[in-house]
Amino acid sequence: MNPPSPTVVAEAPPETPPRRRPIRLPRDRHAIVDSFFRFQSLFGLVAVFVIAIAVSPVRNGENVFLSSGNLANIVRAVSEIGIIAVGMTFVILIGGIDLSVGAVLGLAAVGSATLMVDSGMGVLPTVLIVLFIGAAFGATQGAIVARLGIQSFIVTLAGLQAARGIARMWSGGLGIPIAYGDGPQEAPESFSVLSGSINGILPVPALLFLAIGVGALLVLRSTAFARHVYAIGGNEKAARLSGVPVRRVRVTVFAIAGLLAALAGIIHAGQLNQGSPNDGAGYELDAIAAVVIGGTSLAGGSGSMGGTIAGALLLGILNNILALNNIDANVQLVVKGLVIVAAAALQKLRPRIA
Amino acid sequence: MTDSPLVRMTGIGKRFGGVHACRDIDLTVRAGEVHALLGENGAGKSTLINILSGVITEYDGAIEVSGRPVSFGGPAGAQRAGIATIHQELDLVAGLSIAENMFLGREPRTRVGTVDIRRMRRQATDHLRTLGADLDPRRLVGSLRVGEQQLVEIGRALSLDARVLIMDEPTAALADAEVERLFATIAELRRAGVGIVYISHRMAEIEVVADRVTVLRNGGVAGSVDPKTASRDDIIQLMVGRSVDALFGEGRNEPGDVLLDVRGLAVTPRRPTPGRTEPAGVDLSVRAGEIVGLAGLMGAGRTELLETLFGAGGSGRRAGQVTIDGRPYRPHGPRTALARGVAFVPEDRRGAGLMLEHSVTDNVVLSALSSMTTLGLVRRQAVRRTVAGELRALAVKAASPAVATATLSGGNQQKVVFAKQLLTRPRLLLLDEPTRGVDIGAKAEIYRLLHQLADNGIAILLASSELPELLSLCDRVVVLHRGRTVAALPRASATQQAILAAANGDDAKEAR
Amino acid sequence: MRYARRAATILALAALVATSACSVEDDPGSSSDASAKCGSGKDFLIGMSQANNAEPYRQVMNDDVTNAAKSVPGFKVVVSDAAQDNSKQVADVENFLSQGINLLIISPNEAKPLTAVVKKAYDQGIPVIVLDRKVEGDAYTAFIGGDNVAIGKAAGEYYAKTLLPQGGKVVEISGLPGSTPAAERAQGFREGIASNPKIEIVASQTAEWLREKGQSVMDAMLKANPDIDAVYSHNDPMAEGAYLAAKAAGKETAIKFTGIDALPVPSGGIKAVEQGRLQATFQYPTGGREAIDLAKKILVDCAKDVPKTTTLGTQQITKENAAEVYTTLGGKQ
Repeated sequence: MNPPSPTVVAEAPPETPPRRRPIRLPRDRHAIVDSFFRFQSLFGLVAVFVIAIAVSPVRNGENVFLSSGNLANIVRAVSEIGIIAVGMTFVILIGGIDLSVGAVLGLAAVGSATLMVDSGMGVLPTVLIVLFIGAAFGATQGAIVARLGIQSFIVTLAGLQAARGIARMWSGGLGIPIAYGDGPQEAPESFSVLSGSINGILPVPALLFLAIGVGALLVLRSTAFARHVYAIGGNEKAARLSGVPVRRVRVTVFAIAGLLAALAGIIHAGQLNQGSPNDGAGYELDAIAAVVIGGTSLAGGSGSMGGTIAGALLLGILNNILALNNIDANVQLVVKGLVIVAAAALQKLRPRIA
Repeated sequence: MTDSPLVRMTGIGKRFGGVHACRDIDLTVRAGEVHALLGENGAGKSTLINILSGVITEYDGAIEVSGRPVSFGGPAGAQRAGIATIHQELDLVAGLSIAENMFLGREPRTRVGTVDIRRMRRQATDHLRTLGADLDPRRLVGSLRVGEQQLVEIGRALSLDARVLIMDEPTAALADAEVERLFATIAELRRAGVGIVYISHRMAEIEVVADRVTVLRNGGVAGSVDPKTASRDDIIQLMVGRSVDALFGEGRNEPGDVLLDVRGLAVTPRRPTPGRTEPAGVDLSVRAGEIVGLAGLMGAGRTELLETLFGAGGSGRRAGQVTIDGRPYRPHGPRTALARGVAFVPEDRRGAGLMLEHSVTDNVVLSALSSMTTLGLVRRQAVRRTVAGELRALAVKAASPAVATATLSGGNQQKVVFAKQLLTRPRLLLLDEPTRGVDIGAKAEIYRLLHQLADNGIAILLASSELPELLSLCDRVVVLHRGRTVAALPRASATQQAILAAANGDDAKEAR
Repeated sequence: MRYARRAATILALAALVATSACSVEDDPGSSSDASAKCGSGKDFLIGMSQANNAEPYRQVMNDDVTNAAKSVPGFKVVVSDAAQDNSKQVADVENFLSQGINLLIISPNEAKPLTAVVKKAYDQGIPVIVLDRKVEGDAYTAFIGGDNVAIGKAAGEYYAKTLLPQGGKVVEISGLPGSTPAAERAQGFREGIASNPKIEIVASQTAEWLREKGQSVMDAMLKANPDIDAVYSHNDPMAEGAYLAAKAAGKETAIKFTGIDALPVPSGGIKAVEQGRLQATFQYPTGGREAIDLAKKILVDCAKDVPKTTTLGTQQITKENAAEVYTTLGGKQ
């Protein structure tokens, strides 16, 4: 069509690299590399743990970081974020996000305090009602996402506002203190077990986190439900055409996230002896950070529960060792940011296994 | 054609790790010639094309354009040298309009420097008209069907004023009428002196359109033939390295009772979607053990009909009666369809059929998971056994069931989709373009599989844009036009002409 | 491969258990160090647990503590920021205990949730000075804080006698609902204006302590009450926000604004008074210097009897004394 151009174009440096072929490695090396990336967060956890021991201050000949009191503090401090992160992992695996979990935690904390202190309810009915509220709140969000096809980011952003609003209305805007005893305006003594520990070593919240983490790990490993979760995250349309009950799984996943956020809220109230509507602000972002450090892709379809648990612990140890060394609070924030980016960058390097 | 060729590639080789993707390939493209490139998947076509289009910059051998040696630093360099490529996977931005896509990155400007939208639209319309496509350039590409998007791609290449045009399976998503128009365009380009590298799996097209055929096998040139003199069997033999007997089987069992019966099916969508043709009066029936073909032009509503029958179509008011085994059948979704023994292999394998990043196992078991679980827990042994058996039965070539499905070839990916659907033990199989993008060897295996399934009493409703495929495979061909069934041709009376006439609405003027 | 995965899981669990159980011995055994060690010429580590560094008032409090500590030989202060999160503040204090601080200064985010951990420190024999917000019970060494009711009352009396002696319409912009200072500053103000029945509070809205919310709340209140005479704001930033809203409506001269806090920083209320945007502001003392004074008494002078509660007075800042107060409080120019 055109007259041939008189000169042949001299070439600039390559603009598109040749398509990357899957990296092939000898079988055993291959397996090592693969498991490194698969358990990146675990290696990260061990690395951070070792570093923490190395840089910990020593007092009276004892490594402060390794002291039993300190380790117990760490696991207790991460247990709420960890439990939320477990629920968040399910949501992110289906390619969603749940921004409402922090607010649901606040709502649950307020609910626990109000039901026991103002309504004089026992511990068991309180816990059941609050868990139900959390699950129902999550399920409602899931149903809106599934039915109306609105992105979960938007729905749960709205849910965040709504849950905070409900919590403020319910509490009258005030933190509701929890005092223990048998009288009116007092909560049953047994609720204070949440701020205690087993044999004075393992804090109860940490035990709950452990139990829920292991339970979720098994669910994700072995159930048909988990396969459906991964399938929806991998290719929602293909999953639907394959007969996966996409809506039901969606609703269930968001209900789980809400339920676990409510559980974290109950623990929160039990640990702090108060339910405040402002509790849990920003926790959703910490939970997402734990999931991302755990190697779960925000695009959905790939990730693991073990990674999330390791990610939450890693964040906890990081917070602790920075504080033990009196690193400035503002520098701590920067360090946490760098760790999140590093974890995500590491995932990008993961070779696609042929 | 005595002048020096537009493109001369000599001794081209490329290695990925230890694997020769290409070795010592010579290829010339002359002005005004259509040079067809044939070969099974993995024969080296894509690599060769990627080298010529500047995607791969490291290779052995030399390339000359109009007699001058060149070395492209990237696709942009190849484009500046006048080599345009229409990739099989469409490189379009769904959220932009047709015109914006065509001129992406080189938008015409007005004097004040803003984008000259009018000129852009006018030129886009002109290029599409050349292709015989009458599309509003303001429409979003995302609202177009796959075939229409491909026309936009071709239009974009035309707008580049390319001297060499590489077409990688340009007709894969086109219905026959569009193919005719494309061929007219190719003839036009050829007269204008454009050299065309044409890649296709469809033998019939090659015979019509190509001046020269080069067959690749295992990364090398297996032979170069003149399609006017060489027989189809010769070419196939060059491709697969052995003679292929009877690609299209004959002699089938007698069909059984009517399994699927559709009377007056019509869907009035709640919100009409541009580019979708919902069923608007469909009558057909499929008997057990029968293969019924679904023909029609692009946009005739074949995909939409299959989706509706699978409960995966758009929502809307439904009229008419559908029965399976004489009992009413109104699927609310894929789950109810699967529960009634209806399975569906969608047209868009990557987008709707598979989770590409997940393992073959995960994909295969997805639909039939409930048969491998106890109290919600997956029985790993059962999964392993079932998957192994199914992969063996369908001769799926994969390094292991644990590899990502994306690493499989197109044909094997399609077999994985089949395996997934067959595991649900369906009685009615709905197939939408089941051999698209599949090389000729895998195609033959899929044909054999379909015959075998039909012989086992499964009813098959198959939509295809390839008339030869329909004619050779099907017991009957039902033709759709604008969402209505306009003809049902038994095998004996079905010919390409009859199908095309019906598909063009020649018998259905009253429908307008 | 499967082995690797399983091994990794076991490792993860082991790590979890290890973190919680690897050392059985209880209590790092530092309990009575602090009190035993008191006296001059020694080094002391003071933990300052701050509720939220993001609030200018609390930043000034930190600065007051660290600056005052510099003049005491042997004092070293470490500051932690709970970022407004009760759980984080509990963890911060626990980390301090692990580090073996000799004295804890804490400005609690909220009373109830921090009570237990403060008691834990106190029970270990570590002197605890609670700043600004109280904790429950009496398991702490000393409390130093302002009196918000008194401040509110001082402001109310200023309205009744000086600002609006003829009476007028006042709108109130209040702090975060449910926070004690907001409730007390509201209560005190009402007590203060009681002597002048012609002063009427026509509207009260919350701006949650925030300048930008002060602006938007004032926008709305101006629409509803065009004839406002004065704005009583629970802190200076909200008053400044309200001033901006009034200015946008061209009413900044017709309406008088007062705030509370009077922080000696360039963006604080004292400067706003000096520059004429606010009519007056009332100092809410941080207690930072006083805390270090007290710490010195306990740690260096080995004082056994220190006052359990120190209530700090307020100071009224108007155009006349603004520049002077700014300097005495050590404000940066």
